[in-house]
Amino acid sequence: MRSFIRLCALAAAISAPVVLAAQDLAIKNATIITITRGDISNGTIVVRNGKITAVGGADVAIPAGVKTIDGTGKFVMPGIIDAHSHAALENGINEGSESVTPEVQVQLRNDDPVIYRALAGGVTAALLLHGSANTIGGQARIIKMRWGQPADSMYFKGAFRIVKFALGENVTQASSTTPVDEKRFPMSRMGVEFTVRYWFQKAKEYDQEWNEYRAAVKTSPNTIMPRRDLRLEALCDILHGDLKVHSHSYRADEILMLIRVAEENGFKVHTFQHVLEGYKVADEIAKHGAMASTFADMWGYKVEAWDATSYNMALMSQRGIVVSVNSDSDERIRRLYQEAGVGVRYGNMPVNEALKMVTLNPAKQIGVDKMVGSLEPGKDGDIAIFSAHPFAPDAMVEYTIIDGKVYFDRNQASTLRKIAGDSKGPGGTR
Amino acid sequence: MARRLLLAAAALPIAFATAVAQANNPAAPASSRADYALTNVRIVVSPGKVIERGTVLTRDGRIAAVGANVNIPAGVVKMDLAGHTVYAGLIDAATSIGLPSPTRALPAAADAGAAAAAGRGGRGAAGGGRGVPVAGRGGPPAPPVILPEVDANAEAADQFSPTEDQLKAFRAGGVTTVGLVFDGGIFPGRVGAALTAARSSGPLTLKSDAGQEVAFGTKRGGVYPATGIGVIAYIRQAFLDAQYESRLDKAFKAGTPGGRPVNDPFRRALMPAATNEMSSWFVASTERQITRVGEISKEMGLKSPIVVGSQEGWRVISALKTSGATAVVSLQWPSADSITGRNFLAVGSGKTGVAPAASAADIAEVHANAAALTKAGIPVALASFGGESGLTFRDRIRATIEAGMSSDDALKAATVTPAAVLGITAAVGTIEVGKLANFVVVSGNDLFAATNPIKHVFIEGRLY
Repeated sequence: MRSFIRLCALAAAISAPVVLAAQDLAIKNATIITITRGDISNGTIVVRNGKITAVGGADVAIPAGVKTIDGTGKFVMPGIIDAHSHAALENGINEGSESVTPEVQVQLRNDDPVIYRALAGGVTAALLLHGSANTIGGQARIIKMRWGQPADSMYFKGAFRIVKFALGENVTQASSTTPVDEKRFPMSRMGVEFTVRYWFQKAKEYDQEWNEYRAAVKTSPNTIMPRRDLRLEALCDILHGDLKVHSHSYRADEILMLIRVAEENGFKVHTFQHVLEGYKVADEIAKHGAMASTFADMWGYKVEAWDATSYNMALMSQRGIVVSVNSDSDERIRRLYQEAGVGVRYGNMPVNEALKMVTLNPAKQIGVDKMVGSLEPGKDGDIAIFSAHPFAPDAMVEYTIIDGKVYFDRNQASTLRKIAGDSKGPGGTR
Repeated sequence: MARRLLLAAAALPIAFATAVAQANNPAAPASSRADYALTNVRIVVSPGKVIERGTVLTRDGRIAAVGANVNIPAGVVKMDLAGHTVYAGLIDAATSIGLPSPTRALPAAADAGAAAAAGRGGRGAAGGGRGVPVAGRGGPPAPPVILPEVDANAEAADQFSPTEDQLKAFRAGGVTTVGLVFDGGIFPGRVGAALTAARSSGPLTLKSDAGQEVAFGTKRGGVYPATGIGVIAYIRQAFLDAQYESRLDKAFKAGTPGGRPVNDPFRRALMPAATNEMSSWFVASTERQITRVGEISKEMGLKSPIVVGSQEGWRVISALKTSGATAVVSLQWPSADSITGRNFLAVGSGKTGVAPAASAADIAEVHANAAALTKAGIPVALASFGGESGLTFRDRIRATIEAGMSSDDALKAATVTPAAVLGITAAVGTIEVGKLANFVVVSGNDLFAATNPIKHVFIEGRLY
């Protein structure tokens, strides 16, 4: 029996995250980049029970007994949020057998070391999207990087439900070597537009069927409940605004096409992803009310990525669009703060506007800006502590904190190089 | 009856000769059936219920009497088993041995018609498909479908076709009954139960509708669902469709206007499981798969799902308890290096760069899975699922006992609980009058001791 108890203890040891116990934490003597309320030098921040309770100068009192990190010479910013990732997924990223699959949802691989690597880059939350093979792809998972927890403990409670759309060459399988007569519909941009229109027409008919049922059953209780169709239900959720559309896009024409089809059919494109030619149609995007999540300096890797520019972030921001910069990569996810800095060099974005692109703005895009994205009392204790200003070339993340718990501590992580060589992360088309 | 007895009597010398041969040569061929009296034997009637010295009497393949004092009629074969213990034959709750693979490719010509018969998972009017997204408009021909992955009407018991060697291996491992669960696919068919007697003894099937199997596998290439994430949506939709069919069915029978069942064979096959008239057997090994079973069961209102595999069950005990699951625990343990969570040890510890190699304690922890689940109050049935032979079943149960499971709990998990979960309690699982004469006889008093060889195995009154 004793040996059994010992085994259970060992089991607990394997399950237990490598974190400090309490969700109380304070940082003092640091430069605090609040994002929404300017920078505070020689600042103090206090987290109790996972929530920020105070942000201010040296005069802020730290309750007795709260673990305190001396931030002398260090920079503290909100935990970084990646608004476009396919990290830590399993069992496929694209259900590419059909072009409309919003009933599918990606699955989190909670023990993928890429999560820890992202923590080492100050990332505390991420939008894990279905791939871009389908016109209307699958639903996303939004996670906090609570490394060591079971999968369902990592989901970001209160975040949007998000579904991936995609346009252009990936959906039409332009680069596929499959013979044309074996290709999946749609094979052209015309077909993509038709597919969106066709399926939303079906969804509206389905919605009507259910509305009629709900009305009829009040007076005739024997009315037969219609067939539930998970695919059409998901499309109805989009029509009702309960499921937010994040659409993969590159070219200006396809962006305008989706805006037009969305407005005609009564749904909204919540965020354009990649949106490399967004600078050409920024006013139209802003008028539709969509946000944008783009790359800092990725272009030219396919025909539709030809007209990209690093000024895109700044230009779209100037036109009033909420812009984030994302990784879409298991490698860039650990240096998103450098990606944000590109906006300063190309387009003269103010430093904290650039930092918003990896904090508050992606928080808005995944529906968690009331909880994270800036350092303010009442928000979650999701914090990254850097050795220098995050835009300094030699800046490194020293601590990454989620809900007041330290999930990454560079002093304890002597082994990153070995880990990086150990895992390539999940496979599949991105 | 008289004729039967006569036959039994005629078979007697052969049976006796075989029994002797069996003692010398474990690979001896099957005997014909006789009626036996096992005398002076220690009888484990059921886990925890023991007759220290008694007689078990069989007649026509069933147990006719059990007790300390049993009148032995003339004409039965007496076997003095002093110094031995007789147990109910072990039940391996799940094996795929002797079953065809649900991922085998069928001839292409059969695909079109058979795919229609299987309903392609019943997406029905919602269409989709590879072609133009308009239902019924044709489009390019679909690539060859590996069909049996979705064949909810298939019966494992019907397809069970083991070799004599495979059956012999089960018997050598103490197994007299097996649960039949397909390996792979999505809805590969129905779970069954069968005896491990020699095929010459007659049909082996005990039950053909023990449950509806659900698995998270797919190898369908370009056909929906082509990925694991698609499979989850597909499974949910299939249960919803079956529940819809059930609503239509009831409405039709009640004469409600507008109600007429679709009569899609795939939907109808899933109806009993979707309405809890039949249990759903989910193949799920890892932490996340088991959690997923809980989520699907909750969403679809499935009561008491069976979780086949459950190798990482000890990591998700609360999920198993919440869903009211029975764990059919495979004794094919995963490598302790590969279980979910090893990566958590690999980083942040400050000591090592990669997860440390599994220690003896780590391995013991994996072996203690069944013990941990039992301790948590989850019904456990043991299985060789995923293994290639029944030969080691008893040895693996021994390892489970060494990892912390009590001997009685282990016996229960290899007899009473699998009988219950397979729905064959009336026939097997204990040594009680009326049940099939399925026994394992060992020398000494502990079935699971390595030092006690299996002396005899009886199945339906036949001595092996």
